[in-house]
Amino acid sequence: MLTRVLRCGALILIGTSGAIAALEPAPPAYVWNLPHGFPKPRVPADNPMTAAKVELGRHLFYDTRLSANGTQSCGSCHEQARAFTDGKERAVGSTGEVHPRNSMSLVNIAYAGTLTWANPMLTRLEDQALVPMFGDHPVELGWIRPGTALLDRLRRDQTYRRLFAAAFDRTSKAFSVDNVVRSIASFERTIISARSPYDRYHSNRERDAISAAARRGETLFFSQPFTCFRCHNGFLMGGGVDFDGRERDAEGGVEFHNTGLYNLAGALSYPPTNTGIYEITRRAEDVGKFKAPTLRNIALTGPYMHDGSIASLDGVLDHYSAGGRTIVEGPNRGVGHDNVNKSRSVRGFTLSADQRADFLAFLNSLTDEELLHDPRFANPWTRPQETR
Amino acid sequence: MTTIGRRACVAALVGVTFANVGRLHAQAESALAVAGDVSKPLTLAATDLKGMPRTTVSVMDQGREVKYTGVLVAEILARAGAPLGRDMSGPAVATYVIATGKDGYAAVFSLGELDPAMTDNDIIVADTVDGQPLFEYQGPYRIVAPHDKRGARGVRMLQKLDIMRLRK
Repeated sequence: MLTRVLRCGALILIGTSGAIAALEPAPPAYVWNLPHGFPKPRVPADNPMTAAKVELGRHLFYDTRLSANGTQSCGSCHEQARAFTDGKERAVGSTGEVHPRNSMSLVNIAYAGTLTWANPMLTRLEDQALVPMFGDHPVELGWIRPGTALLDRLRRDQTYRRLFAAAFDRTSKAFSVDNVVRSIASFERTIISARSPYDRYHSNRERDAISAAARRGETLFFSQPFTCFRCHNGFLMGGGVDFDGRERDAEGGVEFHNTGLYNLAGALSYPPTNTGIYEITRRAEDVGKFKAPTLRNIALTGPYMHDGSIASLDGVLDHYSAGGRTIVEGPNRGVGHDNVNKSRSVRGFTLSADQRADFLAFLNSLTDEELLHDPRFANPWTRPQETR
Repeated sequence: MTTIGRRACVAALVGVTFANVGRLHAQAESALAVAGDVSKPLTLAATDLKGMPRTTVSVMDQGREVKYTGVLVAEILARAGAPLGRDMSGPAVATYVIATGKDGYAAVFSLGELDPAMTDNDIIVADTVDGQPLFEYQGPYRIVAPHDKRGARGVRMLQKLDIMRLRK
């Protein structure tokens, strides 16, 4: 009897097009399986997570056809083996143009209060993905709006016809720039890392997961006069996190810092291609202010700083112990220590050889080796795209 | 006594001495001093705190509830003779406490905001987090002020509470 009632009800519903949509099963929700201490990420209401979208996003992320000349994908500047950075001082776009800034890690990007080094207004991964696709200063992936050529290219591929249909619908409208960036953003939100020795020490209470030197380094990190945690804080050890349910304040709650890396003479104390959030706010006091990146996997993400101008973690410690960098000659010469916008937290300190070793042991304990080989985040293309 | 026996005895004595030094060092590391303008300055060990009335407070740490357990600061100060409860009046109201960590970091609390007879701030000296000892970078003791909007007064590696009277 119940079966007959349901069948009857279904026939009635099929009578209207709206009801047909109601009968289509909702795509299965994405299962996060979040690590201990990691809250649920904030996901935009217009782009709910689904496994199908994540899988499509992973294919797009690693597909060099996502650049106009077919040479680069998102993964070119965000390599899994380097914790989703590229090992270069500054990123290089598909046409060879050098980006003014260093490629930031995408690990745990789902929790970033703001995206990129110096844009307080950019808070959605969907919006950020449009920048490398269509940006022309610098050229990254090299597309021209509205992206028709890109969509035609994707539509011709059998794999994408299957993936777009699974993630969205079977109509040609599924192939849209909006859906491309929704899928890439969904994949990026899944790249969550919390399996470092430091995590085992903290979450599992495995005291020997990190060395005594690393534990001492952690204590230094949180102590006077070093107080690194003031800028690199929270479970990401970075500037400003966001997550589901967090009250949002101005600028996403993210602070930006001038660390005294430069102090050029003249109106701007930082090189003109890299003036920090001043580029957005146009306030003199914001010159040289950048976001503090996450320190998770920091041993893998050099060169360091917003412009990759410090090659090693040893060099970074030298910079902070001096309370700013001094450049004695060339166009960037100046005493960063004296930059008027410099953060009050960057005051300089004396660092013994033992303390330096402890700091480095701590920073090295933040590397999640499993992340680098996790098949969920790996390139799904098993052969060059041109041959398919 | 044979040579071997003497050597064993010396080694044992040296061992005992080093063990004592190590224990004393550990005790010094885990000692909490209560000093300043009080009638009964104290030095508390971890076991002393474990034997006092315990309080658990919850704080939200980036979306996650974290439970700290320890002893109300007022409970400790009362044992040192600080003016609390009915004695918290007149000049005593102008009393404050400096909490100082091993690294020199310090925060100030008025005695009134620590006194449960005046406020419900539940500011504690914590020695466990979620039922486990504090991590080395935090402990063995830390201040937890659960109603502070920011954690800046949560002095880690707490070593000393100094009571200061502005009026007598």
